[in-house]
Amino acid sequence: MSFFFQELVNGVTTGALYSLVALGFSMVYGVLKLLNFAHGDLYMVGAYIGFFVIQWFGGAQHLTIAVPLLLVIMFVLAAGLVGGLGVAIERFAYRPLRDAPRIAPLITAIGVSFFLESSALLLFGAQYRVYNTADFISLSSGIQIGSVTIDSVQILVLVLGVVLMAGLQLLVNRTRLGRQMRAVAADREAAEMLGINVNFVITATFFLGSALAGVAGIMGGLLFNQVTSTIGFIAGLKAFTAAVVGGIGSIPGAMLGGLVIGVAESFVTGYISSTYSNLIVFGILIVVMLLRPSGLLGRAQLQKV
Amino acid sequence: MSTVLELDRLCLSFGGLRALSELDLQVAEREVVSVIGPNGAGKTTVFNVITGVYEPSAGDVRFAARPGSAESIAGRPPHAVARLGIARTFQTLRLFMNMSVLENVMAATYGGTRAMPWESVLRLPRARREEREARALAEDVLSFFGQRLAGYRWDQPAYSLSYANRRRLEIARALATRPKLLLLDEPAAGMNPAETHEITELIGRLCDEREVAILVIEHDMHVVSGCSDRVVALDHGVKIAEGTFDAVANHPAVVEAYMGRHPEDLAGAE
Amino acid sequence: MSVDPQGPKVGADEWVARQTHRREYLPSWLGNAQRAGERIGWWPRLAIAGLAGLALPLLGLGGFQLQVGIDALVIALLAVGLNIVVGWAGLLDLGYVAFFGFGAYGFALLSSSQLGANGIHLPYWLSLPIVMIGAALLGLAVGLPSRRLLGDYLAIVTLFLGEAFVEFTNNVAPSKLGGPNGITGIDPIQAFGVQLVTNTSYYYLLVIVLVVTMAVLRLLEYSRTGRAWRAVREDPLAAAAMTIPVNRVKLSAFACAAMVAALAGTIFAAQQASVFPTDFDTPILILIYAGLILGGTGSIAGAATGALVVMVIYDGLLRSPAEASVLFYGLGLLTLLAKVRPWRRLGVVLAATVVLGFAAHAIAAAISSSAVATGPQSSGWLGDGLRDWVIVPANPQTAGNVGFVVLVCLAIALVQVKGRWQTILLVPTIYLAAFVWETRLVVEPSITRQLMIGAILIVMMIARPQGLLGQRRVEVAT
Repeated sequence: MSFFFQELVNGVTTGALYSLVALGFSMVYGVLKLLNFAHGDLYMVGAYIGFFVIQWFGGAQHLTIAVPLLLVIMFVLAAGLVGGLGVAIERFAYRPLRDAPRIAPLITAIGVSFFLESSALLLFGAQYRVYNTADFISLSSGIQIGSVTIDSVQILVLVLGVVLMAGLQLLVNRTRLGRQMRAVAADREAAEMLGINVNFVITATFFLGSALAGVAGIMGGLLFNQVTSTIGFIAGLKAFTAAVVGGIGSIPGAMLGGLVIGVAESFVTGYISSTYSNLIVFGILIVVMLLRPSGLLGRAQLQKV
Repeated sequence: MSTVLELDRLCLSFGGLRALSELDLQVAEREVVSVIGPNGAGKTTVFNVITGVYEPSAGDVRFAARPGSAESIAGRPPHAVARLGIARTFQTLRLFMNMSVLENVMAATYGGTRAMPWESVLRLPRARREEREARALAEDVLSFFGQRLAGYRWDQPAYSLSYANRRRLEIARALATRPKLLLLDEPAAGMNPAETHEITELIGRLCDEREVAILVIEHDMHVVSGCSDRVVALDHGVKIAEGTFDAVANHPAVVEAYMGRHPEDLAGAE
Repeated sequence: MSVDPQGPKVGADEWVARQTHRREYLPSWLGNAQRAGERIGWWPRLAIAGLAGLALPLLGLGGFQLQVGIDALVIALLAVGLNIVVGWAGLLDLGYVAFFGFGAYGFALLSSSQLGANGIHLPYWLSLPIVMIGAALLGLAVGLPSRRLLGDYLAIVTLFLGEAFVEFTNNVAPSKLGGPNGITGIDPIQAFGVQLVTNTSYYYLLVIVLVVTMAVLRLLEYSRTGRAWRAVREDPLAAAAMTIPVNRVKLSAFACAAMVAALAGTIFAAQQASVFPTDFDTPILILIYAGLILGGTGSIAGAATGALVVMVIYDGLLRSPAEASVLFYGLGLLTLLAKVRPWRRLGVVLAATVVLGFAAHAIAAAISSSAVATGPQSSGWLGDGLRDWVIVPANPQTAGNVGFVVLVCLAIALVQVKGRWQTILLVPTIYLAAFVWETRLVVEPSITRQLMIGAILIVMMIARPQGLLGQRRVEVAT
């Protein structure tokens, strides 16, 4: 039974990670109605940034600064740089296509994703970069509930994840910018006519969504240790699944979806085998899309004839 | 003259909103019936129910493809309804913009042909014959509009046509399905007086020459008075008047629906 | 097409009405070629292209070039098939490469020693129809989600299904499907008593198959099926109102595209004599899309041409660094010639770049000799010219990486500015591009060509979404 709870804890932790990526994905879809294929690759860039920060400060074994400070620098840098990268991508690749038929930005997004992955390969090489988290964060300092362990990295991921998600909910529902985001998501033209600076709102949405993906990338590096140019692709697919399962365009939906995917994956890996974990995730997606296309928490779109 | 279309106590609700309530409507062979009413009255919704875009919540839609063979068509998919012989145009103009004028019309002959892809590729006799006939039908239907959609225009992409020509093309495309009943949704929208007059005459000619019953939604009363045998007025999904144009135009309920009540009457009713 | 002597009248004159069509031609001499081609007619053009393709090996192609030709023709065939579902029916199928894999694996299983004691060695004329029908059924199954899903969702679901295919062949039933090691020892194609064993024979087969497929699809394009596909792309609701069974038509598009892909798959498997799961992964899909987008979605000739161009460059970059450099500088120069106008501006830019190069090189050499220690990868007259122009430091990697990032930023900036600033910015951008090429890109050709593919997709959709040979579409916002 404790195995069940241990897998549950693991699942919730990875779920938090997927939720963060899914959030950014969902936000961008909400305002632009664009499935940003390159979103997963932003996660990958964040993971690399974290790795290089560790190297900058002496490497996993010989850190020259305190771990909390290291973590803060990693997260802030990833959020800023990846956020900026997202903004640049939006300005360069997606803005010219804002009114084009849906196929056009989708294909561009595929191109951006491919370009990012190849660039990472060129700049960072094909070898796996390893975080060696255990070397600088003592994994034994965690919480123990019965025979279920939640190690410190998992606590960090959970806490930070919850804080960021709560912060985002607050931003979207209580601030002026959040209101503007919701307006642009509902009807962009009308929002523009009401005096909302749509370009700024979209830029801000991209920045936030990408920053979240970057932060999630570092979490992924800390949790899973290995970083390479292709981790973004899988992360992107899982984020998409999470966003759709929860209801695309809905922020609570992305959180719920991430949780569902993380837990499902954890249980399949734990009880069956890891080879099938990807296929099961795909299966969940297909089932949800066929039975309830608007997702668990989403609303159906109406079309006027 | 036998009934072509019959709506029998038709109801349609979207959740709590009753779009259509207990609507009775008949259209006879070679008859032109106009549907009028303020915006939001449910006129286009009636078209959508007839053509199978929506399924009625209650009531029935009966269509007679041949005299005396009325059958219920409620809930059938749009392409099946079209094949039975009901064609329509759209309020917002839905042409196949990037296809040529001729292709737009020939595309509508799909339901009347049966050649399989391999027959078309191998140029088997049936495919060749159907293609010839489809093209002849398209040219015939387009010639209905005189020189406007003739000659070199056939190969022009639909987006290069003027607005009035696009409206005409949509009607031509609908005619290519060889309908028994034609539903025209605001055919004169956005047209100047000369073009409006032309549309009025066109509807009359369509009815006479093509032997098709027509149901027209229109706001322009010149068109309605000029071409209708009968007028039906709707408001909030309910039929409020039916009869000749003069009878309906002066009907108090219709006047109220369009113009509102006289302020003195309102005060009296409080 | 005659002009009224009183002058053209808008709305009544054919010459005026064809104005939009005239504006779509490619710029300058390419446009002239297009116009000449149009006068000839589609079928003669296909015949000429086919004959040219058949005649090419007679010019003496080496082994490598023949392989490039074969790869290019396979991708061209795939692009032509993909055009059915993406270009005509307007359905974004991102799992298309799975049909290719299905065809290849199907043929591999039926015509090799893989299954059973000695294997089923079905002759090609039997296994091909079986595989194609199987692919059509698979296409119908994959197309089923399209009834309920909007374009974006369908794209992702099909992407997943494509990924599922790779996972499937990698992990499931390794004894039958070969797992990661794939299936080897596939029979060569035997047709009309001739066994196709050499690359040259497969090249000829592919040219013939491609030409025949293009012909068949052209006949379909203007048949009732083709019109129905295109009507469904334009406006599914209106199409349904005009008697077209939209769902069935979408499914038929999937099935047809799947059959073409499976056909390509069988030839691919026979020529390679082996299949591996990685042969059908996402990078191949992106190659096919790059070819289709470059050439023009919706146009059969565009799909084939675009794919051929992309593949020739893609594989051409894998040659020796010297030859790849020729390709790089040549293409770069061509792009500048085409895009930088008027001639005076081009001259100024080129002259400034050359001067900047020599100056920078001299300064760098004066500062530190290790900064210019390595030379360019080219040889001969190109190498001599470049040696004193482009800076290639002793440790090119880090400098090259930094240069790459700066280059991408510069390219973005270049697109955002206008006029004089654009001309000024162009000079360091070109020089930096040469620098990055010599230090990083030419050294890692496999990554470079992936970068190029990504760049093609991005640039084409922004600059010329209808591709080189496509027609600009008018989309009505719904």
